[in-house]
Amino acid sequence: MRPSNILLTILVASTLILGSCVTNPDSPGLEYMPDMYRSHAVEAYVDYGMDPYYVTEESAMAQRATMSARKPVEGTIAYMGEDSTAKSLAMPYPFPNTPEGYEKAGLNWHSPLEQNEANAAAGEVLYQTMCTQCHGEKGDGDGKISENGHIVGIPSYSVKLADLPDGKMYHSMTYGKGLMGSHASQLNPRQRWEIIAYINVLQGGGEETDATADTH
Amino acid sequence: MFRLERARKFKAVTQAAKSLILLAILSTGTPAFAGVWDSGDLVKGQALFNANCASCHKVTDEILAAPGLAGISDRWASSEEMMVLWIQDPQAAAETGDPYISSLIDRYVGTYGWMTGQAVSTEDVADIMAYVQNPPLDPSAAGSASGSDCPTIDYSAGQNASQGTLWFLILLTLFLIVALSAASVKRVLKNAVAGSDDETVELDGTYVQRIQLWAWDNRVFVGILSVFIGAYLVVIGYQGLMGIGVYEGYSPSQPIKFIHSVHVCENEIDCQYCHHSADESKHAGIPSTNVCMNCHKAVKTGARYGETEIAKIYDAIGFDAISGTYFDGEGNNGYASPQDSFGGEPVAWNKVHNLPDHVFFSHQQHVEVGGLHCQNCHGDVGKFSVGRIAPVQEINALVDDFPGLIQLSKPTLTMGWCIECHNKAEISFASSGYYEDMHDRLRDDLRGNEELRAFMEDGKATVKELGGWECAKCHY
Repeated sequence: MRPSNILLTILVASTLILGSCVTNPDSPGLEYMPDMYRSHAVEAYVDYGMDPYYVTEESAMAQRATMSARKPVEGTIAYMGEDSTAKSLAMPYPFPNTPEGYEKAGLNWHSPLEQNEANAAAGEVLYQTMCTQCHGEKGDGDGKISENGHIVGIPSYSVKLADLPDGKMYHSMTYGKGLMGSHASQLNPRQRWEIIAYINVLQGGGEETDATADTH
Repeated sequence: MFRLERARKFKAVTQAAKSLILLAILSTGTPAFAGVWDSGDLVKGQALFNANCASCHKVTDEILAAPGLAGISDRWASSEEMMVLWIQDPQAAAETGDPYISSLIDRYVGTYGWMTGQAVSTEDVADIMAYVQNPPLDPSAAGSASGSDCPTIDYSAGQNASQGTLWFLILLTLFLIVALSAASVKRVLKNAVAGSDDETVELDGTYVQRIQLWAWDNRVFVGILSVFIGAYLVVIGYQGLMGIGVYEGYSPSQPIKFIHSVHVCENEIDCQYCHHSADESKHAGIPSTNVCMNCHKAVKTGARYGETEIAKIYDAIGFDAISGTYFDGEGNNGYASPQDSFGGEPVAWNKVHNLPDHVFFSHQQHVEVGGLHCQNCHGDVGKFSVGRIAPVQEINALVDDFPGLIQLSKPTLTMGWCIECHNKAEISFASSGYYEDMHDRLRDDLRGNEELRAFMEDGKATVKELGGWECAKCHY
């Protein structure tokens, strides 16, 4: 009888130890002091519906159904100081998302930034992040997504789009065109114009020329 | 299989249509553009189609950013000249007042916009039509990343591990209960038999009594064993306590089986394309569904899970994959861009990188001013599936790929890890105007105290030397 008693003791002990190993993979684990971990003030990307400390069940459900990342109130304009460039960048884009708006933008919408090396260099950094995966390193439409066959037929800046006016580019970045979606949520107006400054360089085959600078 | 069969059927139909048209052209005897449907070169046509048409049109009846071209010869057969003009200069074609072109404009231009006029000759159009009517049965171009060194991630593996352990424990407990009850029944019966027979047999005691008896008989062994067990429990307890607040390897489940390696490694999408607020906000940002749609308007079928996972994006944003357009709040279809009024339920991702509320951390400061790579803290996410906290050893191993990556020893996302990096990280004064100003003050300001100047004696300044170890830098 005695050896079986030892066996039983070991079994009970190992059950308890193993039991502590069962964890919920969706729980980050133990916290020292939860009331110092959770913000009372509403923070972005915190699901308050998950937190039993501060809310009732009804408000938890309401919170869960609401997106924490919100848009600015419609019609508000960010105050950008007295600088005329900053002011014009803060103004809303006047052309509607229609074929007519696209044509009008091509004729009437011009960059408040100068076509110079600094803006083109700033645009190049943004271009490498935001555009290369489709439009390609040099704007030839041969990005990795195109190479992998997911989106094909992307026109080249230096060939098919060599004469595309800045306003149409801005319109396409703001609203999207064809398969390209709107990038307005990812790029503010200044960043859009900086990228256009760099695309103007690509349109000229990668050389900064006077001709590209004179187009507007 | 289905797709293949449909393509075959489609081919047969177009062949029939072609011969019909040929017959019509021959019988009417006006072969001005007789070549458009029939004289083209398929190989040249494929190249021309991919260069000029493929960004909006598909050769099937699927709508991409414009209607699919399947059956085009049926629709345009009556006026080939018009079609060539429509391709070369849509506005000029519209001015002719052709009834079919007017119907096209009414139906499609409002939603998809004007087609861009293409610089193609009539011969080119003939080549393109040859390709459109005889598309290859297997569009092999569609994203196969074979031969790349990107990991293939399969979610189905290792998902039931924790459930298996649970069942094991339940069975073990049941077994123990049965074994113990059986043993005690046996003991009671034995004692009863012994008592009734009036034999001088030592009665079995309870479990506790018997364990005490046994332990006293083997006290040396029990003593040594308990020392070991005690030491073991101390070590386990210490490790358990040290594990509180350490979240290395934490990777909660997510509502969509998102695969970072497909996006980052196979398709080379920059981290900051989706997490685009990393350089201007405290948060790197979880991309909203409209950012997903920038690619997934075209990519409707995933390589791993087909349409099910991508359809979750469509449900959230109100996209109709068949017509390629968006819904509004009233259920009307036909918008070219996402509608705010749709109000779909947002995708509720589970947060992976949790910092306690008493720590302030800003991505902007580290990405924009500090100029850190994302990989410095997040590891090689291009090899991950969903978000995961990379263990520090994994990050250290990346030093060959990312020169200047700082190797650390404390677990990722702990305070020890933060201040270790603040102690080691050198500041590059050339990287931004912010530090240049700081540098000038250290070097030139005569009022600057000797302590500050002393930092510069070894020719470098660390984050710590500029206040990176001040409590109030992160805790306030």
